[in-house]
Amino acid sequence: MNNRRTFLKTVGATSVALGTLPHPVFARTAVNDPDGRILVLVQLAGGNDGLNTVIPFANDVYQKRRPSLALGKGATLGLTDELALHPQLSGLKEIYDEGALGIVQGVGYPNPNRSHFRSMDIWHTAKPGVADKRDGWLGRAFDAASKKLAGQVPAIALGTGRLPLGLVSTKFTVPTVRSLKDYQLQLAGNKAEQTTQRKQMRELVGSGTGGNSDLDFLRRTAATALDTSEKIQSVLEEYQPAQPYPQNGLGQRLQNVAQLITADLGARVYFVSLDGFDTHAEQAGAHNSLMTELSTALSAFYADLKAHGLSKRVTTATFSEFGRRVKENGSLGTDHGAAGPMFLMGDSVKAGLHGAHPSLTDLDQGDLKHHTDFRSIYTALLEDWLGWNAEAAVGGKFKKPRLFA
Amino acid sequence: MAQPTGILAPHHAAQWSRRDATHFLWRTQFGASAAEITRVHRDGIARTLERLLTPQTEDDEFQTVEPILRDTALDTGSVASLQTWWLHRMFYSANPLTERMALLWHNHFATSFAKVRSVPHMLAQNNAFRTEALGSFRRLLHGMSKDVAMLIWLDGNANRKRHANENFAREVMELFSLGEGNYTEDDIKQAARSFTGWHVRDDEYWFNARQHDNTDKTLFGKTANLDGHDVIDLCLAHRACPRFIALKLLREFVLESPTEAHLSAVAARIREHDYALAPVMRELLSSKLFFSGAARHARIKGPVELILGACRALSVRPNLQAVNQLSGQLGQALFEPPTVKGWEGGRLWITSASLLQRNNFAHRLLQGGLGKLPKPEGKPEHYRELLLAQAVPGLDAKAVSTRQQVHLMMTLPEFQLT
Repeated sequence: MNNRRTFLKTVGATSVALGTLPHPVFARTAVNDPDGRILVLVQLAGGNDGLNTVIPFANDVYQKRRPSLALGKGATLGLTDELALHPQLSGLKEIYDEGALGIVQGVGYPNPNRSHFRSMDIWHTAKPGVADKRDGWLGRAFDAASKKLAGQVPAIALGTGRLPLGLVSTKFTVPTVRSLKDYQLQLAGNKAEQTTQRKQMRELVGSGTGGNSDLDFLRRTAATALDTSEKIQSVLEEYQPAQPYPQNGLGQRLQNVAQLITADLGARVYFVSLDGFDTHAEQAGAHNSLMTELSTALSAFYADLKAHGLSKRVTTATFSEFGRRVKENGSLGTDHGAAGPMFLMGDSVKAGLHGAHPSLTDLDQGDLKHHTDFRSIYTALLEDWLGWNAEAAVGGKFKKPRLFA
Repeated sequence: MAQPTGILAPHHAAQWSRRDATHFLWRTQFGASAAEITRVHRDGIARTLERLLTPQTEDDEFQTVEPILRDTALDTGSVASLQTWWLHRMFYSANPLTERMALLWHNHFATSFAKVRSVPHMLAQNNAFRTEALGSFRRLLHGMSKDVAMLIWLDGNANRKRHANENFAREVMELFSLGEGNYTEDDIKQAARSFTGWHVRDDEYWFNARQHDNTDKTLFGKTANLDGHDVIDLCLAHRACPRFIALKLLREFVLESPTEAHLSAVAARIREHDYALAPVMRELLSSKLFFSGAARHARIKGPVELILGACRALSVRPNLQAVNQLSGQLGQALFEPPTVKGWEGGRLWITSASLLQRNNFAHRLLQGGLGKLPKPEGKPEHYRELLLAQAVPGLDAKAVSTRQQVHLMMTLPEFQLT
């Protein structure tokens, strides 16, 4: 704790982004206090094949349109008489059986765009109609809740090369942490000289004029970098995972998220990504490994949070820019599609299936039609989970499903 | 041929200053040494442009080292060796603008070794970027549709008569020529059919006639038995194409956020020159716009630009393998762009983590960790010209050694801009 106190003495006074003291995790009031709740977003980038994730194995059309990729009842993890999870999702199936996994089916938006970049941007900006990349849906939610969030780091992106558009806000700079170990400033000289240098840098960086020039942006980001790096280093040593995480990228990133949550950095949203879902050719093997990585990483994360008494306070949600075409292509793969499922994980989630599986015959240009707009899911996540107003974030009022118990 | 007017009219040479020369050099090569600034300031813009746009003979050292690095890459098949080869070209070539243009085209036609898995194919593609760097975008776009690395990257062989694969057709419009919003989903389907049978066999482009769809397609209102050449020509003739290329040139060489007026002015010149790049670049790099206040410190440096630029400014001959590692950590591994969209650049280079890493790079460079550092001498103003090319309030008040001053300069937000 000593280094934490030292940190606060040296940086606390000038800290713009991190005004509040770190609270011990359990000092936060019960789950009922929305201010203590955390959302972890897991992006499945490239367009996850929803049909081979939550599988309508009993449906003839599915079997016919997927002659080489379809999975049968025996090869899958049954949810109902007609639906099953991909065989590699056994970890998620256990969580489902425990009553801590919700599956929202048929999520999408009108006039689906089949470009990865555009569709991902749409999920991040929650603006299907317009190509406006100035901020993201969560960024606008932070802005709208800025009075409550003042002086805090509202979110942290873990392991992404760049700040995800969804977290771009005009009032807050969200740190992007590639790995916790690398997130520190190297300086020459002895401790006293380093302190002086750090102080000089921090003074020269200022905190931006609040304007929107590139220089203002650079100043704000540099201020966040200097302030948070010191804080993160000071809390690194205090965490132990409840059980080992799988040695895969997503597992390691989620372990870092657990580390930061237990350190109680105060961030309300964490963002991680799993890439590689663009399975145009030879899909089966690649999709198998992705499902394995997803399931092993999420179940280790869930177990770790549970052991730390945090599984009620943390909800994890997955999303992908689109599902894939119902009919497989000629290269043993699938092309870009439309609607897909989302997973919601945590002890506060209303478990089970939400909404019906989309029809395999009533299609839009060969793709599944959505029945649930992703903005209504966002609305539920913002209002019913994080306790923030959703209207500005999602650009209107959307009827929200009941996603929480 | 009509001369450019308005914002693209030539910058008046009588106003040519050292600061102009520095601005010019940071945009047309990878950073600038004091000697280079002096030379360009003395030569003036016309002579300098002539030199940059005319192929220059490489010096003896370059001619010795370059083939060794290239052969090492081919012999080992390692992408790291190929990356080092290119970094060497960027830093030491007598034709730096060619290398910058090649980097622009690499980013535009972003193809990754991660899928192509072949040094010879990636090298061949890179040389095509170099050949047309200041040549013709028309030839370049046609060339890329038959480029082996590209065909592997975008699943050319999966594009067959009865199973059209849309991957290349989509990107040729979305990312290579028109930009999103200028075509329909049906245009993509029609274009994909036109490219069926454009395959790779025995490491070469091969027209697989049996897999080519020989029926009529309708693209942008034109109906005929179109093939891939026709699709490329229709894209080049599309009004969106010159604007899309103008956007790329402006963002790379002039300013991060071009206005509508900038875009339409440059697009008009691209049309005027029928996609010939040297005359377009000559006009752009000597224009009023290029030397205007709006274009100064108006771009965020990319990782390669940042690292090589700082080495050049401080006269460090860097360990290129270390440069390569660093550049990858900062998000720009050459030959391995993150997606087919390439590096989006601008603010997306910058996160709190990457800024810390950029600061740590400065620390390492000044510790001599990338190569022998000449002892900092001279006044802080000398380094301010080399590293910032502008005054920064408050900096001079920090009474520290020259070395510490230089370090502070390199951790300033202003240092990230060019």
